[in-house]
Amino acid sequence: MTQLGARKPNSQLGESKVWLSAMGLTIGMMMVGGLLLLILIEGLVVFWPKPLEEIVVSSADGKTEVFAGEVRKIQHRRDAVKGIEKEEWLFFTGNKDASGNAFRFLDVESIKERKQPADLVLAERMEYGNSIFRPVSLTLEGGKTVPATEPGFFAELQRLVNEGNARRHQIERIEKKKIGDINKKLSELDLQLKVLNSDKGLADQVRADRAKVIEETRKGLQADYQKLADEAGVLRKRQDVDLLNYKLADGTERKQPASHLVTFYQPNALGVAGKLGWFFHHIWTFLTTEPREANTEGGIFPAIFGTFVMTLLMSVLVTPLGVVAAIYLREYAKQGFLVRAVRISVNNLSGVPSIVFGVFGLGFFVYSVGSSIDEWFFSTRLPTPTFGTGGILWASFTLALLTLPVVIVATEEALGAVPRGVREAALACGASKWQAIQRVVLPSALPGILTGVILAMARGAGEVAPLMLVGVVKLAPSLPLDFTSPFIHAERKFMHLGFHIYDLGFQSPDSEAAKPMVFATTLLLIVLVVVMNVAAIMLRNKLRKKYAVSTF
Amino acid sequence: MPEETETTPPARRPSRPVPERFLASKSTLRLDRFMTYAIQLGGMAIIVAVFGIFVFIIAEILPLFHGAKVDHEERYELGITNADVMGVDEWAQRPFFYTGGSDLKFADLAKKGAQESVPLSLPEGAQASAWKRDARNNRVTLGTKDGRIGSFKVEYKSQMAEKAGGKPIVSASIKMEEFFPIGQQGKPITSVGFGDGGAAKILGAIQDVDGKPQVHVLCIREKRTLMGAGKPAIVGRFDLTNELEGHPVRLLASSVGDSILIADDKGVVYYFYFAGGTAKELRQKFQPFAKATDPNLSTLDYVFGDVSVVVTSMEGHQEVWSLYNQAVTKDGKTLDVRLYGKIKELPKLDGAATFYAASQRNKTFLTGNGQSATLRYTTTESVRWTEKLPFEIAHATFDAKAAHLLFLDKTGALHTYETRDPHPEAGLKAFFGKIWYEGASKPDYTWQSTGGTDDFEPKLSLTPLIIGSFKGTLYALLFALPIALLAAIYSSCFLPPEVKAVVKPVMEIMASLPSVVLGFLAGLWLAPLMEERVPSLLCALIAVPSGVMLLGWAYTKLPVTVRSKVRPGSEYLLLVIPMLLIMWGAWSLGPWLESWAFTVKDKATGKLIADFRMWWPEFSGTTFDQRNSLVVGFMMGFAVIPIIFTISEDALSNVPPQLKAASLALGATRWQMVRSVVLPVASAGIFSALMIGFGRAVGETMIVVMATGNTPVMDLNIFSGMRTLSANIAVELPEAAVHSTHYRTLFFGAMVLFALTFILNTAAELLRQRLRDRFKIV
Repeated sequence: MTQLGARKPNSQLGESKVWLSAMGLTIGMMMVGGLLLLILIEGLVVFWPKPLEEIVVSSADGKTEVFAGEVRKIQHRRDAVKGIEKEEWLFFTGNKDASGNAFRFLDVESIKERKQPADLVLAERMEYGNSIFRPVSLTLEGGKTVPATEPGFFAELQRLVNEGNARRHQIERIEKKKIGDINKKLSELDLQLKVLNSDKGLADQVRADRAKVIEETRKGLQADYQKLADEAGVLRKRQDVDLLNYKLADGTERKQPASHLVTFYQPNALGVAGKLGWFFHHIWTFLTTEPREANTEGGIFPAIFGTFVMTLLMSVLVTPLGVVAAIYLREYAKQGFLVRAVRISVNNLSGVPSIVFGVFGLGFFVYSVGSSIDEWFFSTRLPTPTFGTGGILWASFTLALLTLPVVIVATEEALGAVPRGVREAALACGASKWQAIQRVVLPSALPGILTGVILAMARGAGEVAPLMLVGVVKLAPSLPLDFTSPFIHAERKFMHLGFHIYDLGFQSPDSEAAKPMVFATTLLLIVLVVVMNVAAIMLRNKLRKKYAVSTF
Repeated sequence: MPEETETTPPARRPSRPVPERFLASKSTLRLDRFMTYAIQLGGMAIIVAVFGIFVFIIAEILPLFHGAKVDHEERYELGITNADVMGVDEWAQRPFFYTGGSDLKFADLAKKGAQESVPLSLPEGAQASAWKRDARNNRVTLGTKDGRIGSFKVEYKSQMAEKAGGKPIVSASIKMEEFFPIGQQGKPITSVGFGDGGAAKILGAIQDVDGKPQVHVLCIREKRTLMGAGKPAIVGRFDLTNELEGHPVRLLASSVGDSILIADDKGVVYYFYFAGGTAKELRQKFQPFAKATDPNLSTLDYVFGDVSVVVTSMEGHQEVWSLYNQAVTKDGKTLDVRLYGKIKELPKLDGAATFYAASQRNKTFLTGNGQSATLRYTTTESVRWTEKLPFEIAHATFDAKAAHLLFLDKTGALHTYETRDPHPEAGLKAFFGKIWYEGASKPDYTWQSTGGTDDFEPKLSLTPLIIGSFKGTLYALLFALPIALLAAIYSSCFLPPEVKAVVKPVMEIMASLPSVVLGFLAGLWLAPLMEERVPSLLCALIAVPSGVMLLGWAYTKLPVTVRSKVRPGSEYLLLVIPMLLIMWGAWSLGPWLESWAFTVKDKATGKLIADFRMWWPEFSGTTFDQRNSLVVGFMMGFAVIPIIFTISEDALSNVPPQLKAASLALGATRWQMVRSVVLPVASAGIFSALMIGFGRAVGETMIVVMATGNTPVMDLNIFSGMRTLSANIAVELPEAAVHSTHYRTLFFGAMVLFALTFILNTAAELLRQRLRDRFKIV
């Protein structure tokens, strides 16, 4: 239609309005591009090792002060009275345990000197966030010290950190896995005892005998528990033996067990390759480890996993339902006013706010269905709810309802796009109606159905509002899928990328410290959603081309 | 459809036998039949289930609109005809009756009303002449013939029932409390009142001194120290007789222990306040039914919380008077004093009320006369239940849980009624009407669903939330609509198809951005950025469109040789750099504009301060919040622009090319074609796009939760936040108790959202279909 735009040489009437309308498109494109770019940059910068600066500050009384940190933000604050702009720098100074605050705002005018000394070390720690320091020495078990000037110092420190990490994993395994198992068994015993005591039909003798058996099992378990707890205690004690002595930029000497460090490196001494290495290392730990320190440090593996399992469960639920409903509407139902009305309504359901589905999910799945299940099957555990509270199953059901219209509409469209000739050919060959649908119509509609499912998954993965009502939590103690029977724990609460963003950004005690994590999580979520959408769009385009040929 | 004929049934087999291999196998037919049923059943079930959402939500909100349910339980022939005081435990098992004298009668309803008299250990020589029960703690205050005032408490203990669901066994005991001499010694007391506010207590009595009534008040204070409660001591004795003009008949002591209400036989109510228990002050004198022929009152009593009193006239008019701050001019100064004012008027009773009982759970009260009884709820001025009972009511009371009503009739029989009224505070008036709440100085629309105290009055007006929803939507559409429409016009009419194939998916990706991401960016990135740069934004708002139009005009003035090098449909690319420049220019111009136009005088120094954030409140009298509608509107644009764009682009593209070609052939320029042909034809489609965009913005949750302050407001100020229906649900529903009024009200909010978006979308869809049909004809 380019000829429509051909200019009329004598008349340029309204040309400026054409440009105005072009502005609309430009703004729209800029908004999308700008937003994606912003998230991409802010999200990736988080992982890049930033140089550490040593700053000499002159304070008002003429004294000078030294500290080290990363420049996080440069902002301009207007002095309202003087009417001049003031430049302020925000430094991440770390060492929260020493100063009580990990950030520091500084007037640019008060900075006297900036250096980037290569010997500054940035260490990630289990507690109190990162630390920036100069190492002094190591005090090993038995009192031996290794000064930082010795060439093997960093290798030794690395060894200690690695050992510490290994030990930490061991402790975790004991406490979480083994002791967790024992706790589970103990609570089962409690339940058995409760059942026993409430069973009025038993003779007192029988009851006493059984109670005795339970008591003995409990004693055995408690002994095991004690043994494991002792074992963990020994390991824990060992963690605190090797000390790292270090000096902060202002000269304060501090020490802490070397095994409290997770990793350490010297950002200013790194070349590009080294930085790149740490960049990927950071991404890797972000994706694979569990969060620490109220989610502001560490990784987001449970959130990724929770989102994944929830989306998967949801698509497993929504695909058959949506496809069956669409086949019914398109192939079996008598086309008439009613079906048209149903079609419009189903289509419009996708415009109903997601929170409404959340409200329904909470009221129906959690409080009605879940509570009934609890009463029928888990009555011994009451009043502690099992299914009568939010969980991954109910979240998946709710989101399946929410995305059902998407799948129905897409499947109907795909079924409708299958050329009539193909269908008739199948029937003419003697196929029954179902055979024609199963062998011919559905396979050719498959890409279209897949598009719908992918779109539904993208919507489901990004939706947060309904999840807040039906089972998402900021920190789930265990994953919804694991190696203890029955492997799928549909009643468990779970973490979710989208909710993680909300929680970190708005419920976190230290929102400035949480910001990098939020941006990184946002980037991940956006990448996920955009990739799914692009895949769906590409699939659809391919499909259109295919039919464009076949329908001649 | 020919598919019905492909499997030939055996009955219609043609004469020549069909070869075996052409017959469909039985299993195929069986499977086909099975699948037909399965899919029909399944399909219908799924569709019904989806619409079940609607039914479920309705079922959840219906109880909100039900009245109280009151069912007769039992009748007990007790033969107590002259009881002025009746009280009961919270399980309605052992009511007590006091008829004067020195013993208290208990009835055990578990034993068919078996009676038991328990002697009261009154002080020596004391003979009760006036008595009154305080429902809150089952205390009976006594006035004696020799001018003393005192009280006793009935304390109940319960033992849980053996089997679940059974009624507990209740035992009662009497705890005598101190008696104080009041007024003139040896003169009988005719009416008493006892207000117990813990550390502060107040006792009041009307005394008959040789045929002349006197009113006396005792104020008692308990000194509380770290060691615990001290001994109560009388800190003030007051004689109020001289302050009254009429003949005092009723006396009501506040449970805060600081004030007393006295009504005289002319229906004038005197409000006395005792500051610290040591000074008296007649704060107010009011006559609720001044215009009535008989201004006397038939009841004067508190509702739960002791902030409001219900007054009933002799003709049955009923009003609620409540304490709230009123401006009073005293000695030339205007002060805010908490005085009584009429805040509500309830439906009229048939004649004077003869009994009154207030619920100890909420603002419900029970009143009536003769045979008729009615339950009323003050907040919404609603009658929850009314019925003519088959007996003459002498006395009535609630149990502490407000689960039972007890009526004592004139023949001495006790009737128990079970009552259930879980949602008295709900109703259309509560959700949408203006309500004068207790303590407020005027009727208002308020949303405040939870409070700290038991006597809190839930304020469940959805109006501010709906206004909030519309406010967010309004600003989102104000921003999104022009951009989306301009973009749609451009992309449908001027853009080459191969570029359009890229632009549309990009817009779809914009639509799929999770709202939590947009909300996070709005709240943590955009809001702080915008807060300081409002003038820059204003500049950009003016500079960008006018700059672009100027550019377009300048372009037409270029020589044709230059213009012919520009491919039509690439204007949007050419615009990128100029627009960025204009935006940057506007951005840097902002502070200059601010220092020129938006200045306020600093009160301390008198200097001018250039700060929009301070200028706006001074200019408009409204607030400036960091997280405001402007931020929400902008970010919601990300959610709304692609929707409006996609749908209106479709509508514009569907305009038949013949029409466009015809207009061009008639010599229209491309813009004239758009304005006079394309836009009018596609207008219905654009309107439906607007409706769908509206629906999306109204229900948006996360952006609003994260980017506004979530305060319910009733204004449309662009620089303040709001609380929308959806955000309200997201924030409050996880904490709401299941099936409470609050819970169901949130469901009602969800229902409003559901209905709103569903109706809008359906209307839009129908409009689009009509449009499509019209094009078919063209």
